[in-house]
Amino acid sequence: MAEMRDSNHLSRRGFLGVGLGAGAAAVLAACSSSGSSGKAASGGSGGTMKFWDMPWAAPAYNTAAQKLVASYKPASGLPSATYQIIQWANFTETFAAAVASNTGPAVSTGGGFQAFQYAQQGAIAYADHLIQTFKSNGTYDDFLPGQVEAMKTPAGYVAVPWQLDIRVWWYNKPIFSKLGLTPPTTWDEMESVGTTLAKHGYYGFGAGMGAGNFIGQHIMVMMMINNGGGLFNADNKLDVVTPRNIEAMEFVQRLAKAKIIDPASVSYTTDTENAQWKSGKFAMGINTGALDIGAGITDGSVAPLPGPLTGPHGDKACLVFQNNIMMYKNTPSQAGSEAFTAWYIKNMSTYWKQNLLSGLPVLKSIVATPQFQQQTHLDAAVKNWLPYAKNYAATGNVLSPSLAKVDGSQQLTAFAQTMLGGGDPKTALQTLQSSLQPLFA
Amino acid sequence: MTSAIGTTKQASGVTTPQRPRRAARRLDVNKATMLALIAPSVVLLLLINAYPLVSAANQSLHNGTLISSGSFVGLDNYRSVLTSPQFWQAAEFTLIFTIVGVFGSWAVGLGLALLLQTDIPGRSLLKVLLLLPWVVPIVVSATSINYLVATPSSPVPSLFHALGLGAPLFLANPGWAKVTVCVYKIWVSFPFMMLMASAALSSVPDTVYEAAQMDGAGAVARFRRITLPMIARPTYISWILMTIFCVNDFPTIYLLTGGGPISATTTLVVLAYRTVFQNFLVGPGVAIAFLMTLALVVVSVVLYRQIRKAAFH
Repeated sequence: MAEMRDSNHLSRRGFLGVGLGAGAAAVLAACSSSGSSGKAASGGSGGTMKFWDMPWAAPAYNTAAQKLVASYKPASGLPSATYQIIQWANFTETFAAAVASNTGPAVSTGGGFQAFQYAQQGAIAYADHLIQTFKSNGTYDDFLPGQVEAMKTPAGYVAVPWQLDIRVWWYNKPIFSKLGLTPPTTWDEMESVGTTLAKHGYYGFGAGMGAGNFIGQHIMVMMMINNGGGLFNADNKLDVVTPRNIEAMEFVQRLAKAKIIDPASVSYTTDTENAQWKSGKFAMGINTGALDIGAGITDGSVAPLPGPLTGPHGDKACLVFQNNIMMYKNTPSQAGSEAFTAWYIKNMSTYWKQNLLSGLPVLKSIVATPQFQQQTHLDAAVKNWLPYAKNYAATGNVLSPSLAKVDGSQQLTAFAQTMLGGGDPKTALQTLQSSLQPLFA
Repeated sequence: MTSAIGTTKQASGVTTPQRPRRAARRLDVNKATMLALIAPSVVLLLLINAYPLVSAANQSLHNGTLISSGSFVGLDNYRSVLTSPQFWQAAEFTLIFTIVGVFGSWAVGLGLALLLQTDIPGRSLLKVLLLLPWVVPIVVSATSINYLVATPSSPVPSLFHALGLGAPLFLANPGWAKVTVCVYKIWVSFPFMMLMASAALSSVPDTVYEAAQMDGAGAVARFRRITLPMIARPTYISWILMTIFCVNDFPTIYLLTGGGPISATTTLVVLAYRTVFQNFLVGPGVAIAFLMTLALVVVSVVLYRQIRKAAFH
């Protein structure tokens, strides 16, 4: 037996030892990988930090963003930045898992209310110092009015605005021309135009509220806001069942009953909805500020209405989401995060100069560029719509973490589907109020 | 000298049970070796399965967020879930979806498996074609179905209209959406049932059928008295598997209807997802998932008992 125990022989105990050792090493490696990735990310003189970005437009945008971030040259001792795209699908889980395990980004774009949510949970590095710097170097004054202050909470600025996602009314010019219609300016005119369109087989209130499509929610909130209502009252409390909201939804119900709303739109995905716009079945309706780009309508047949419609009480308003760049506490260097964010804000004009983004810029200097002004629809949105824009907090004025629970919620989806289907406004609003209330408990 | 019972008689004449002690020691060593051998697997399994399970159970008893554990709330999350009308609405549709999905796909699958037992021309090609709904990724087939039924001018509603059957809104009407989702589930699942049934049918000896035929049993009697009992075990297994597939089926619903319209097609798994990732109520969402797991365990145990009975018979 002894001669068999040569150097290559692995005894049973040896084998077990190796096996257990390998298992333990794997376990330790797995356990340590999350904890150490932040440090691993910070190497070199100032190390590196992670910047996570979303697919805000066509892939060309992310290619340009990656190139822009790669060109960032930090001051001595500060970290450089790496660029990573996070897909919208399941982005909530991606961010949550990363933030919880301290493997998340140092700086990121993301959901419109994400910064407020993570600030409440203690993961956000407030931007007060950065905003102060902006005030001292003049950058603050370059922001469009009210945009920076929208990021302010009692504890500080949770983020820095970088682009605006607006909802506006669109119409199909050739169809209007063919039917001798003029773009409406009031709700009454809209209803009248919609009735004519319906008689000719077109829909005058294009919408979609199917799987993964949230435009229907935005449309309903915008209709409320356009009538001087909203999901919240002036004290920023959830207050859905109000006379103005009921009136707005009664208007929507009338449109549904008059077949001005496509009855199948409650199930339209973004692709199906875009197809309806492209085919001309949708001749008028509310959509993002870049419907033409999103739906691939390149022949110039669709255009935004001249401005927000005037409601029955004289109100004019549209909806806007203030997308922002947020900084996280988990960073190799807070000074590095601030330096990068400031640099990014200063250099992001390249996206609009190259016509890569469908969102509206937040800087006056970008709006003033000839390249942006050549993008007539976006330019019109800034000039004619943005001055009337209100956010999800209307009629209140404070963005909060709770808005993340409302935006995209199943409760609001069910409400929008009910209204697009011509359901009873008061009952639907009462159901919405009672189903959203627990989220604010 | 060794006695029959394994004791050793030593020179002193004292009998000691050395052999059993040694054997017992060897047994202990073997046990230890075996335990050590399976230890890495057990550790991995615990890490992969038990840890998330315990962690999730813990979350269901807290009012935490996606990134923090929150404070202990006992069974409050379960209480709020079980008193919520949305939960019971989702539970009801989950039950319908599962029953229709399991038995619908089984009936179609078994029928086609029986058909493929016969000498029909092009049988091999047919087998391959019939597997396609199972093979094609759900994302692709759900998108295709969406194209076929989404708008009033889509091919299927147009066909209905041409046949004078009205213009049903297959995804926009709550009732039709339920039907569409269930039919789609049967369509994507029957190939699996067909494969299971084909394998089971091939194990039934022809001689049994021949004997029954000689005794004068007709086709229906042979199916009821021979085929069904003899494929009972694999059938119960396929039911268990399909029940699990249906209850846990997230993509079918989420891609086709998103759980709508007006939550009509929301199943428990979709509700759990929405509760956690759209309403950010982690505790209640995980509680829903745990209640689903509990229900699945009960159903599985009942069906396993049926398998044992079938084996006994």
